[in-house]
Amino acid sequence: MIKLFKYLKPYQLFIGLALFFLLVELGVELVQPLLMAKIIDEGIMQKDLSVVVFWGSIMMGMALFSFLGGIVNSFAASHVAQSFGYDVRKRLFEKVQAFSFSNLNKFAASSLITRLTNDVTMIQSTVFMGLRIMLRAPQMVIGGVVMALFVHVQLALILVIMIPVLVFFLVWMMKRAMRLFKGVQERLDQVNGVIRENLMGTRVIKVFLRKDHEVKRFAAASDELKEKTTASLRFIETTMPVLMLIMNGGILFIIWLGSEYISTGDIQVGEVVAIVNYAMRITTSLSILSWLMTVVARAKASADRVNDIVDTEIDLLDAKETGHIGGEYEGKIQFDSVSFRYPGSEALVLKNLSFTAEARETVAIMGATGAGKTSLFQLIPRLFDIESGYIYLDDEELTHIPLHTLRKQIGYVPQEAVLFSGSIRDNIAWGKEEASIEEIMLAAKHAQIHETIMQLPKQYETTLGQKGINLSGGQKQRLSIARALVRNPKILLLDDSTSALDLKTEGKLLHALKKGYSCTTLIITQKISTAMEADKILLLDEGELVAIGTHAQLAETNALYQKIIQSQFGKEGLRFEAKS
Amino acid sequence: MRPKAKMKKPENWFPTVKRIWGYLREREKGIVFVLLMVIVSSMLGLLGPYLVGVAIDEYIVTKDESGLLLLLCSLLGVYVFYSLSTWLQNYWMIGIAQHTVYRMRSDLFYQFQLLPISFFDKRKHGELMSRVTNDMENVSSTLNSSVIQIFSSVLTLVGTIGVMLWLSPLLTLLTLTIVPLMFYGMKWITNRTGKLFKEQQSSIGELNGFIEETISGQRIVKTFSQEEKVIGEFLERSERYKRSSFWAQSYSGLIPKLMNLLNNLSFTIIAAIGGYLALKGVVSIGVIVIFTEYSRQFTRPLNELANQFNTLLSAIAGAERVFEVLDEREEAQDEKEASVLRHVTGKVEFEQVSFSYEKEGHNTIKDVSFHANPGETIALVGPTGAGKTTIINLLSRFYEVQNGRIMVDGQDISNVTRASLRSHMGFVLQDSFLFQGTIRENIRFGRLEASDAEVVEAAKLANAHSFIMKLPDQYDTVLQQDDSGISQGQRQLLSIARAILANPTILILDEATSNIDTITEVKIQEALEHLMEGRTSFVIAHRLNTIQQADQILVLEKGRIIEKGSHRELLEVKGFYYELYHSQLKGDKIG
Repeated sequence: MIKLFKYLKPYQLFIGLALFFLLVELGVELVQPLLMAKIIDEGIMQKDLSVVVFWGSIMMGMALFSFLGGIVNSFAASHVAQSFGYDVRKRLFEKVQAFSFSNLNKFAASSLITRLTNDVTMIQSTVFMGLRIMLRAPQMVIGGVVMALFVHVQLALILVIMIPVLVFFLVWMMKRAMRLFKGVQERLDQVNGVIRENLMGTRVIKVFLRKDHEVKRFAAASDELKEKTTASLRFIETTMPVLMLIMNGGILFIIWLGSEYISTGDIQVGEVVAIVNYAMRITTSLSILSWLMTVVARAKASADRVNDIVDTEIDLLDAKETGHIGGEYEGKIQFDSVSFRYPGSEALVLKNLSFTAEARETVAIMGATGAGKTSLFQLIPRLFDIESGYIYLDDEELTHIPLHTLRKQIGYVPQEAVLFSGSIRDNIAWGKEEASIEEIMLAAKHAQIHETIMQLPKQYETTLGQKGINLSGGQKQRLSIARALVRNPKILLLDDSTSALDLKTEGKLLHALKKGYSCTTLIITQKISTAMEADKILLLDEGELVAIGTHAQLAETNALYQKIIQSQFGKEGLRFEAKS
Repeated sequence: MRPKAKMKKPENWFPTVKRIWGYLREREKGIVFVLLMVIVSSMLGLLGPYLVGVAIDEYIVTKDESGLLLLLCSLLGVYVFYSLSTWLQNYWMIGIAQHTVYRMRSDLFYQFQLLPISFFDKRKHGELMSRVTNDMENVSSTLNSSVIQIFSSVLTLVGTIGVMLWLSPLLTLLTLTIVPLMFYGMKWITNRTGKLFKEQQSSIGELNGFIEETISGQRIVKTFSQEEKVIGEFLERSERYKRSSFWAQSYSGLIPKLMNLLNNLSFTIIAAIGGYLALKGVVSIGVIVIFTEYSRQFTRPLNELANQFNTLLSAIAGAERVFEVLDEREEAQDEKEASVLRHVTGKVEFEQVSFSYEKEGHNTIKDVSFHANPGETIALVGPTGAGKTTIINLLSRFYEVQNGRIMVDGQDISNVTRASLRSHMGFVLQDSFLFQGTIRENIRFGRLEASDAEVVEAAKLANAHSFIMKLPDQYDTVLQQDDSGISQGQRQLLSIARAILANPTILILDEATSNIDTITEVKIQEALEHLMEGRTSFVIAHRLNTIQQADQILVLEKGRIIEKGSHRELLEVKGFYYELYHSQLKGDKIG
């Protein structure tokens, strides 16, 4: 929590302002019982009206002054909290943008999102409350005691003894309650888990007729949640009655002792009234304090989660030597005994891999799930650093090329098409902001999506995403291909990006790529028909390169490759292949 | 579809409240008891300050020690019972509230089980989830505290004014002068904040939406090296939120300040004017002390009522959303005369079946007729949207036929119970859905009474046994949601084992191998062949090589069957299927 306070530094002036006026407010409130005592003792008891009027108008003036202070405080606090939130958000967002892929792998996307949204909002509103009201409760408690001491030391001593005991009691209750509520949260997660499963598996549950079983399972989880919640809430709800009882008992004690002192002439009636009044105000503040503790505890949890991000070290550094800035590359890619494992994992994903893709060649990469195909792809834009070996682009080592320059050469189409909300045009131009509409249309045409777009009501201006229309899987894939093509890349990486396309469309797409672009193309594919078109096929198995060659060569010599052909075309297919 | 606005005002709150009351009534006695306790505690809460005032007036000023002691003792009694009654009312109310929420949640879950598939197809899971979690949470917390608070606020308010009037009508009038001030001030503030909050809400929605989207697509941002662009866009939105939020928060922050001012003012009025009155001998000092305390007690419930009213409204809106699901039409009940379908051989006939998902839209499938003999394999082929899955949905009665009829073993399926119909069917779907739990439990899901040996047997037939044995806990390995511990292909093998164990007469394979790479597919094919043996099977597949052995291939386009026959027959026709087949063989060389 403290760490985040440094973001408050630029707003010191406003914080001071807010706190100053908070103190003014508080001071007014604390002085009031004192003035009241004066009215009683010096005015009423002495039967002096002018004293009553005098102090009465002073009280009125102070009330108005404190209100003005309150307004200033509200604006100052709000300014500090909003600016603070803005700064923390900015810092976090920029940090995430600087993350390497292995940094990203450490956090689930959903967790990053909550940290940037809910957690920051939580801290921000805690700062706001802190400057506006939160500090008031403890200040009130302390100030109340001090003022009471000022009025009459012996009588106020009761409060001095009682309050630390009560604060200790509150803290103890809160700590236990937190633990209990954690248990509640766990039960709640369980219940939600059952529901989520049921929503996702509705079909399966219906066809296997497992309704009664699921209802029973849910009832068990839900019942546990109910019991746990009831117990926790009942526990926490004892706090207030106990607190009230002790404080009220204290007040009784003050009255009784007060009457003793009055009879000996040590104290005046008005002063007893004032101390009683302070005790009552302290009681209210103590109950607010218990609520504040939960708020602070939650804010602390949020702050820790935010700090996790801020403290993450970025483990992939940009090239220092900037030898080739903005230079033109041909697109030749060379892997030289490359081994790679994901940070934090033990198994090597790629083992001693060597191959060369000449500029403007098309290379197909095949292999079962988990063979390391996508990992190989991610090494080319240097999303991860390799463990040993070298990767070259046009004979220059990747680590010597500035990341921005390197990635500018590359058009990457991932397995899963990620689009952003906005128009279709925006989505394609996302690959190259300054792209003209002609360039965008050309890319769309090559990606075989232009005709589909033209059939949409608003064509290139059609909005996608949450507020707009939904495209089919194949259409999304083609859009994301267009997004890569508009960059006119020197290297095109297609990660099984044509899986949802039917074969005719895929064929046209590959044809257009060959004709329209002078780039080195790497394609991960499951389909023999796609691989046949490539200049070279790499066959991966468990991270190793088992074969490399043209379709004809592999169909002749490699057993694994033959098996794939067979599974796709049947025995007949193999014969057919041999003929062609 | 409903709008997704979170803080929606309830449209029609009275029936909703009545329904919640319907649940609460199950604990009627408890509620009566709680209300009694609220009355007691409110009264004692009023009595306390009053007695303090009396103590000052009657005993301290007059220095009557024995009388004071007696009064303090009774005051102690009042405080003890006050604490006790507040504790008791909370204790009981929590029990009642949690029971109510539990019952509502159970009803909701039960309703999920009864709702037809079409309901789930139309809605997002996230939206439904939030009804069970957020909305129920809203109802729960409101019932826990707000009910008591609202009731006791009203009582305290009425009681306070009553006692104040009794003590000194003049001072009461003075205290009440701040009420119009309060209303006027509140109105002034809320008039401004209403609009501001709306702006703040929409700008934070936009900001969070942007964050969500960008972080979800972070990998793309990086590979395209677009970090600076998104940071720019982010700052723009963040700035907008900061601005709108500043005004909204500043103004709404004025409310407590205003309340504070009014508190101070009323304190001053009572002290000054009360002092003047005391001088004239109209009121006593004790009364002034009582009034200063009461005037605080009097603004507090007003403030609380205003706060509670908002949470109450949002809870009612939440309950309304829950009830809305409860009121959804359930999966049509089985017809009264529906019979139980026993021992079927697996003969399936479609007679001129037509169906449309929308009431007045064009038909999704039109005049589909075919028939399958026991043990035959029927493949459904065609482009996306041709109606393949619809045929399956109709056969399993997830949706009802609108024209024509479907017969199983000569019996119209609309005359048999859904449960008995589905008990003869097994499914392997594209998305191999597994539950959180052990592998054994997941396979056994196919037939709950199956023995361990039968589970293993099914796993062996499904080619899943060998990989299961390699896992650390074998059959007791716990599968997590979206677990990456086992592969897509292995998941599919488990769902095949599940189907084998269920031992259905009619089998449905909907894109069972589409998510799986070709090498893994070879293995699964073998398992599927085991599964299909001796059963009437319906297979939907993209890759034609998987269906060449089918007895009948139905080629669908735009909801109609355009070709029908075996692989060879269809190749000879040289129609749609022929083209499709050859395009898959040769890729782009065609056309």
